[in-house]
Amino acid sequence: MAETYLVEPDLGFIEEIGAMGGEDVKKCFQCATCSVACPISPDIKPFPRKEMIAASWGLKDKLVGNLDIWLCHNCGDCSSRCPRDAKPGDVLGAVRAYAIKAYAAPKFIANAMDDPRKLPFLFGIPALLFILVGFITGLLDFTPELNHYGKIAHGEFFSTWLVDIFMIPASIWTVAIFALGIKRFLADIHQNALKEGKTDKQSINPVEFVKSLITVVPKILRHDKFNECTENTERSTQHMMVLFAFIGLFIVTGIFFVVLYVFQIHGPYSQLNPVKWLANISGVALVIGSAMMIKTRMSKTDQVSTYKDWFLLWLVFAVGVSGMLAEMTRLADMAVSTYTIYFIHMVCVFSLFVYLPFTKLAHLVYRTVAMTYAEYANRGF
Amino acid sequence: MDKKYGVYICTGCGIGDVLDIESLSGVASGEGLPVKTHEFLCGKDGVSVLNKDIEENGINTLIIAACSRRVNFDTFRFPGCIVDRVNIREQVVWSHPRADFPALEEEQKNDGEHFDRVQMLAEDYLRMGMAKVQKIQLPEPYKVENLSRKVLVIGGGITGISAAMDVAKAGYDVTIVEKENSLGGYASKIRKQLPVNAPYDNLINPVIQSKIREAESFSNITVKTGTMVARIAGQPGEFTVTFKKPGEKIEFDVPYPLPPEMKVDENGKELDADKLNEKYMEYNQGRKDILTLDPDGELYGSVILAAGWRPAEIGGDQYAHLGYGQIPDVVTNHQFEEIAAKGKIVKPSDGKEAKSVVFIQSPGKDQDDRDFEYAGAVTSLVSLKQAKYVREDYADGKAYILYQHMRTPGLSENFYKGIQQDPGIFLTKGQVISVSKNGSGLIVEADNTLLGDKIAVKADMVVLAAGMVPETKFDPVVNLAYRQGPAFRDIGLFNGYSDSNFICFPYETQRTGIYAAGGIRRSMTMEEAIEDASGAALKAIQCLESVNRGVSVHPRSGDMTFPDFFFQRCTQCKRCTEECPFGALDDDAKGTPKPNPTRCRRCGTCMGACPERIIGFADYNIDSIGSMVKSIWVPSSDDYYEPPMRIIGLVCENDAYPALDIAGLNKLSYSADVRFIPVRCLGSVNVIWIKDALAQGMDGVFLLGCKHGDDYQCHFVKGSELANIRMQKIGDALASLALETERVAQFEIAIDEYDKIPQIVNDFVDSVVAMGPNPFKGF
Repeated sequence: MAETYLVEPDLGFIEEIGAMGGEDVKKCFQCATCSVACPISPDIKPFPRKEMIAASWGLKDKLVGNLDIWLCHNCGDCSSRCPRDAKPGDVLGAVRAYAIKAYAAPKFIANAMDDPRKLPFLFGIPALLFILVGFITGLLDFTPELNHYGKIAHGEFFSTWLVDIFMIPASIWTVAIFALGIKRFLADIHQNALKEGKTDKQSINPVEFVKSLITVVPKILRHDKFNECTENTERSTQHMMVLFAFIGLFIVTGIFFVVLYVFQIHGPYSQLNPVKWLANISGVALVIGSAMMIKTRMSKTDQVSTYKDWFLLWLVFAVGVSGMLAEMTRLADMAVSTYTIYFIHMVCVFSLFVYLPFTKLAHLVYRTVAMTYAEYANRGF
Repeated sequence: MDKKYGVYICTGCGIGDVLDIESLSGVASGEGLPVKTHEFLCGKDGVSVLNKDIEENGINTLIIAACSRRVNFDTFRFPGCIVDRVNIREQVVWSHPRADFPALEEEQKNDGEHFDRVQMLAEDYLRMGMAKVQKIQLPEPYKVENLSRKVLVIGGGITGISAAMDVAKAGYDVTIVEKENSLGGYASKIRKQLPVNAPYDNLINPVIQSKIREAESFSNITVKTGTMVARIAGQPGEFTVTFKKPGEKIEFDVPYPLPPEMKVDENGKELDADKLNEKYMEYNQGRKDILTLDPDGELYGSVILAAGWRPAEIGGDQYAHLGYGQIPDVVTNHQFEEIAAKGKIVKPSDGKEAKSVVFIQSPGKDQDDRDFEYAGAVTSLVSLKQAKYVREDYADGKAYILYQHMRTPGLSENFYKGIQQDPGIFLTKGQVISVSKNGSGLIVEADNTLLGDKIAVKADMVVLAAGMVPETKFDPVVNLAYRQGPAFRDIGLFNGYSDSNFICFPYETQRTGIYAAGGIRRSMTMEEAIEDASGAALKAIQCLESVNRGVSVHPRSGDMTFPDFFFQRCTQCKRCTEECPFGALDDDAKGTPKPNPTRCRRCGTCMGACPERIIGFADYNIDSIGSMVKSIWVPSSDDYYEPPMRIIGLVCENDAYPALDIAGLNKLSYSADVRFIPVRCLGSVNVIWIKDALAQGMDGVFLLGCKHGDDYQCHFVKGSELANIRMQKIGDALASLALETERVAQFEIAIDEYDKIPQIVNDFVDSVVAMGPNPFKGF
């Protein structure tokens, strides 16, 4: 028999979960329809029934470091079948949002992400920094000339040096925050899995864990789990578009980074360049995918959409749209417009990066780790 | 009345296609009775034939051979006439199709070998109907001498007040008697109550004070506080009620029957009547006998019992693990309510704030998943209510409810949903293991919870879900001056709750004219109690409005007959007094029964019990059924080479007879050698009918009636059970006649078990065939 668990409900936690979109959690009467309805829940200790009672009892310790909340893909099969309208899908979404916040540091940024009144600062501060640093260093040229081909080049206005002065530390910052978060996260989910009998491993073997990661990544890319859901199947396609768009843009950025610094070839590059094709296709996919996601959320009245959800969706959409518009206005020789839009684009991209560990987009990391752990621990997922 | 007979045979509904109507008519005309046939007797034309005969030819006793008496009842009702319905549709032609029972070929007729079982069946039924109407009379109503149309309500709590107002609104005078010095009962001692109106989702302030004010505004409601019922004597319509102050001893305090051990002498022999009476008077010294009416008593027509409940005690070794009695901060829900009514929830031990409270709904530990005794659904709802108190008093308060069953019936589900929304109320199913001290607080451990683990919860207080014990568990309350005793007879099934059958006959107690409502009937919420009060109020009015017309109240509503006694032949054996399920009969010092017709439910259990056969009803008596039995033709080997068996089925008309009809309606076929005789209740079956049948050469007799035992379905509570006892005793009599005891049997059937009819009937017939014919046949 498992050891006795001392129940210590946290009323504040229940309130926070409610504020983050899990306001119906208290309606749950533990029928477990959700666990049966969920197409991806494991047979042993299935979710989300147990997470529902833990959340409605305010048992933070059972949830934040819980592997299973990340196995959920929030497809909504459980919520649409819930006889009490307790929306387990949304509750787990709220718990994940709470967990992201819990593993992210510094906390003041995490808190600012929740507060719409802080929104101007979140974007205003990077914009001001760009201007300030750009002005001081002269890397921001407010009277840019055409490049040596006689074309508009964003680099003439917003130097690539300035981009990388910000983007490289931003990447390091994000990776560092994630690294610290994941370290705690992995330790926590392992402890929780041990306690609740969800694992067959006593410790984490790094080699085996990486092997599991290699097994899991293709599954993630194929959206295998997402496709098992029966509700909201369109979301799988949208999600895939956005994910592959990001991957495409990541590859493009990487190639052009090398091209720039190693071969000293400056952009903009020819539209006939295959890398440019990838960039354009990815950019279009990002705009369409995120636009579809926004439309889906707007039409979904039975699903809770919180400020955090909208924040991320609109930010991703803004990244895509500003990127594409910057390119189009550049090609159309609309100098003022294209420089302005490019500046906005840079602010959006920077924000997306810097705030990544604090937004919902952090699921990219946590869910991947959780799914890898599930694979490693033979969770039956 | 001079009977003028008329026999009418309907040939519709397939009857004419199956039966030889000419030969059937011959059965009646052979006895000199006029016979008419009609192809559609229940139609306008058919009924006009009957009406014409009644008006022009003076026919006043009609034998209608057609469909079951359970259909077209109003069509064939003719005031002032005796009508008997011979069921040749459902129980003859529909249940005996020619495919299974072929008609005779021309050359088979009168060959001494072949016979038409279906035709024989129809002809016997017609003979039985003709025999019966000769022996019955039109009933005349029994009217009480001093009819009172006042209703007495015992108990001035929320149920009693509600019932009194319902009765008063219907225009009757009503008296509320309350033993406390003020009205209100438990409802006036609580902080908040469960909702009584839509949307039923949250606590409300107690409604009792406004109810009391409303009741006081009625001019036809009289309130007697600080008063209780010393005795209720007499019968519905003219109950003589003596009131007294609680604790007072008066001569009209109700006497108690002698306990069994005092009814025998030192050798264990039963005392004679004089000696018994002497002992009884001694036992009840200072109290008048039940037959002496209080000249100063008040007359009431009917009584509503709303005496309520007491909080159950929790104690004993089986609950030791809960710490109740040892740890002062472990209390019952009742004690918790007392604390809550006084102010903020504080610990009894030190008066400090109780911010974490665990509500235990089921004892747990080694017990099964039972709740505490007398819990019902109420304790679940009360725990939700009291959990909310904790949250009302403390913003950071926490209330845990550990249950095995969360019972929130009907719209109280909304209440559950409402309370559940509170973030500080935590519910889980689970088995409580222990409650123990933990510093200045408590710790509750539970296993098999929805949280998946064995859990421990820190608590300031623990509340146990004690149930509602009916007041009648401790005291008769009604104090009836009845020979069977002052309380409702305890049949050991209802835990002391006052009811005769929760499902079929709510509000009706086992004493006619006394209707139970509220916590006395089962554990219930105030909302349920208010509704219950209306039910009992309507029943009490139904009683008055039946007694005044001289008809039975229930379940044979409107029955104008009542048991008639031929006292000259009474041997004072007291069987009728003792066996009556409703205590309708009192007896005098000698043991002669004194009938109280308005207490009676007309089941005929007394008639079945009487060894002298001196009890009968105008239209249902020993002779009428006996004559039906005797009218059945029992063919012998003188008539046929292999004569058919003749078996009688005495069937309860409440469930078994309808089941037979439904079997016919569904064209289920069964043996044609059985003749069914409907009886009011198997309790009314007198063994003489069975003896006569067997003496006459019948091959077997069976009784078909309701289930008895824990899940009894008898309309008269005890009828089928008593019949069962009597049938066991008849075995000796059969043995003395050298007959197999298996020739008499009793079977149980419910009204919806019509599909079992063929098997029950055919199996019995087969078993009789296996025994061979009755050796008395032909003598």
